[in-house]
Amino acid sequence: MLSYVVAGLALGAIYAIAAASLVVTHVSSGVFNFAFGAMAFAVARFYYFLHIEQGWPLPLAAVVAIGLFGPALGVLLYAVLFRHLRQRSPLVKIAATIGLSVALPPLVNLALGQLVNVTAPGLAPQPVAVYRPFGTVVDANQLITYAGLALVLLVGTALLRFTDTGLRVRALVDSPALTAMSGVSPARVSLGVWAFSALLAGLAGVLVAPTAGLSVEGMTFLMAAAFAAVVAARLRSLPTAVGVALAMGVVTSVIQRYLDPESALSAQIVPSVPFLFMLAFLLAHALRGRAGDAPTGGVLDRAIRTESGTAPTATTGSGYVAPLLTIAVVACLPLILDDFWTGLVATGIALATALLSCTLVTGEGGMIWLCQITFAGLGALFAADLATNSGWPPLAAVLVSAVCVVPVGVVLGLLTIRLGNLYVALVTLTFGLLAQNLIFMRDRFYNSGQGIYMPRPEWALDNRTFAFLSLAVFCALGVFAVNLRRSTAGLAVTAVRWSETGSRTLGLGVVPVKVLVSAVATFVAAVGGGFLALAYQSALPDSFSPFTGLVWLAVLVTVGARPVVGALVAGLAFAVLPSVFQTYLPTRWAEVPVIMFGFGAVMLARDPEGVLAMHARQLRTVSGWLRTRRTPAADKPSAPTPQGELV
Amino acid sequence: MTALAGTTPPRIEARGVTVRFGGLVALDSVDLAVPPGAVVGLVGPNGAGKSTLFAVLSGLLRPSSGAVLMDGRDVTSVSAQARARHGLARTFQHPELFPGLTVRQHVVLAYRLRHARRRIWTDLVTAGGFRRAGAEEDRRVDGILAALRLTPYVHLPVAGLPLGTGRLLEIARALAVDPNVLLLDEPSSGLDARETDELAATLTGLVAEHGVSLLLVEHDVELVLGISDFVHVLDFGVGISAGTPAEVRADPAVRAAYLGTEEDEHDGPDENVEHDRQDEERATA
Repeated sequence: MLSYVVAGLALGAIYAIAAASLVVTHVSSGVFNFAFGAMAFAVARFYYFLHIEQGWPLPLAAVVAIGLFGPALGVLLYAVLFRHLRQRSPLVKIAATIGLSVALPPLVNLALGQLVNVTAPGLAPQPVAVYRPFGTVVDANQLITYAGLALVLLVGTALLRFTDTGLRVRALVDSPALTAMSGVSPARVSLGVWAFSALLAGLAGVLVAPTAGLSVEGMTFLMAAAFAAVVAARLRSLPTAVGVALAMGVVTSVIQRYLDPESALSAQIVPSVPFLFMLAFLLAHALRGRAGDAPTGGVLDRAIRTESGTAPTATTGSGYVAPLLTIAVVACLPLILDDFWTGLVATGIALATALLSCTLVTGEGGMIWLCQITFAGLGALFAADLATNSGWPPLAAVLVSAVCVVPVGVVLGLLTIRLGNLYVALVTLTFGLLAQNLIFMRDRFYNSGQGIYMPRPEWALDNRTFAFLSLAVFCALGVFAVNLRRSTAGLAVTAVRWSETGSRTLGLGVVPVKVLVSAVATFVAAVGGGFLALAYQSALPDSFSPFTGLVWLAVLVTVGARPVVGALVAGLAFAVLPSVFQTYLPTRWAEVPVIMFGFGAVMLARDPEGVLAMHARQLRTVSGWLRTRRTPAADKPSAPTPQGELV
Repeated sequence: MTALAGTTPPRIEARGVTVRFGGLVALDSVDLAVPPGAVVGLVGPNGAGKSTLFAVLSGLLRPSSGAVLMDGRDVTSVSAQARARHGLARTFQHPELFPGLTVRQHVVLAYRLRHARRRIWTDLVTAGGFRRAGAEEDRRVDGILAALRLTPYVHLPVAGLPLGTGRLLEIARALAVDPNVLLLDEPSSGLDARETDELAATLTGLVAEHGVSLLLVEHDVELVLGISDFVHVLDFGVGISAGTPAEVRADPAVRAAYLGTEEDEHDGPDENVEHDRQDEERATA
């Protein structure tokens, strides 16, 4: 038993370092760093590059990678991204950091090369020394991990409590405005905090690499597990986060003593432990009404806060030309492209339907759900199961499966109605991770990674016909989405999104409106998932990983989370661009599209409407300028027009 | 303390309402009634508990003890949206607008919530988003917008509207639900003198033409005393005076609450508050 506890404490210590970093940056800057895993990967990969690939001595490589490169990365990211986020809406904060998490790893791979073998050394010299105190086994990497956590806690506590720097950080947490008025630069303090946070990310990444592997997936899992401790700490309490992280590590390890290591159930339950922790704490917080959006800063900060750049656009329903033109162009693609590219276009259109659900739930409803891909996956798996194992007609299977998934979305909607934006994002991400571990990985669906065969309708076997079928379904759901936006329901959804108090005093119930959005978005996601399965002719659980869902979201918000046609453009970009790069550029450039998607989402920090809306606005400005030049007499003041509205 | 006598029950009534936040007693057994067709003013120094009482009356805050009645029916445990459907509307000290909607859409939504509530659901299956609004809806919505001089702004998003315009929009939105009783929290704040006069005329016209009952919290005491039939004064959560404007103006307790015990014989409470307000405006200008 003791050896399980010792191993668990080592794992918990890594979680604790990650959780401490997440808490410190959240309380000091108001940004919950979804890019933590990517930052950890970048530093760990750089350490590997120096130590293994360049042959640097271990201590020197560790100091340069963790002590210099890590903080430098933090400073750089603060300068280009994080400093712009403090005043942004929760959606922009989350989407921009997700964008960074999407872009950074492939950027590092582009610079340092893609690793084939993800086995990496820790900070202990090779071969790793093993000790046997009290009849248990401890290796040098584990000892270094304990020492690392102790050092972080001691140094961090001493810095925060007993130094002038710590005083400034605590002042920044309480009120950036008052901190500035006392002659301290909040920007400089934040810069230091982000540098320290990146150092911790790097340390956690290097420490976890020997056990989780030097891969983006391993680091992202570390981050997701650390989220659980941060949620337990209600995003603020450092001691609670560290304590829960250690407890999670121990539970994850000890539980393995009682599970059959050969059983499939063990493989599903063990990685789910952090997410079950998170779910339990979220429910506890929600039941006690302590999971709302925590106010950042002090009274003065809230009084002088301006929502610059996040002013929403009103829905007037103008502008049909660009969307119709886009749809017409897409409709022509299957007619002029060969079968390979037509297949990709069909996949992109199917994906667009799934992304339309994000447009509805996030773009319209303002609910930051990170599990639309899970609903799509459930729709795909159930539909394939019905079609293949029960002999249902494929389209009927897709429709019925989507209807069956709707209650899941409704329940999730009901559970998250009273939660703050960040908690909603975390709950939905957790739900996705749990569904992946506990449902998608079941033999019935996973089938050794091959998924379940999904037949297309007999009259749409070829890619061209299927592309048209997918486009027709997308258009039908798109028209439904536009109707919803312009209808009384759309007005109600917008009202509830922006002021629940104002809505309630008008007689508008918050619960039915949010449940409506949840149900519709879940249905659309599941239909999209079903069509993705039809496109691949297989329901592949690996295609519906929550981390892939983050890339989906990054692509969508890059294009624009509100325009319906944005989902179509995003779906096509996601499906087609990688193949364009793989076909016409060196293999090394294959991940450039993902980097572009990530940076597109990062750009939200500057323009929250997305690229499509930004260009539409620029086009309107140019056309207005041209009209003014042609008819100078028409130069008269006019009311400002709503922005970024492309259906 | 009793309200105006009448044969019909008050539109809304607070009976012995007490609200405690931990050890702080924000309201202590407050009584207040708004009879049908009456304008009732609620005044008091900062921190007197006026907004708390509004929150209790509108259903956003559950009292620690006491009761709230609408048309004689106990609605203490009824939700805010249910009270709204029963004919209660309100505005807020800090306007609770919907930045994603235009000025006109605010009023359209409120109108439909009262007169075509089913459209929230039926529009989805009848393509209601693509159909033109009915003539009656247009007439009523445009009429409300015109009455509050909001016509020039109808198609603008509310984000970025001046505070005074936002307040007028909140009133327009509240009127669109055809309320029986309207609670107005600082409606003239952010309006200039001319706009305040126009607002007063609009409110009195509203009562005269539609029989709406008004409960008004306002720092502009002249406005309150000018249009109210009955005035309540709160201080530290306790009702210290109630009566006609003339009675309240002459009440020594009110003078003491506003001026302290060493009251200035030349300055009444209204003038003093008005001076405070002007000083505040000068300070923030």
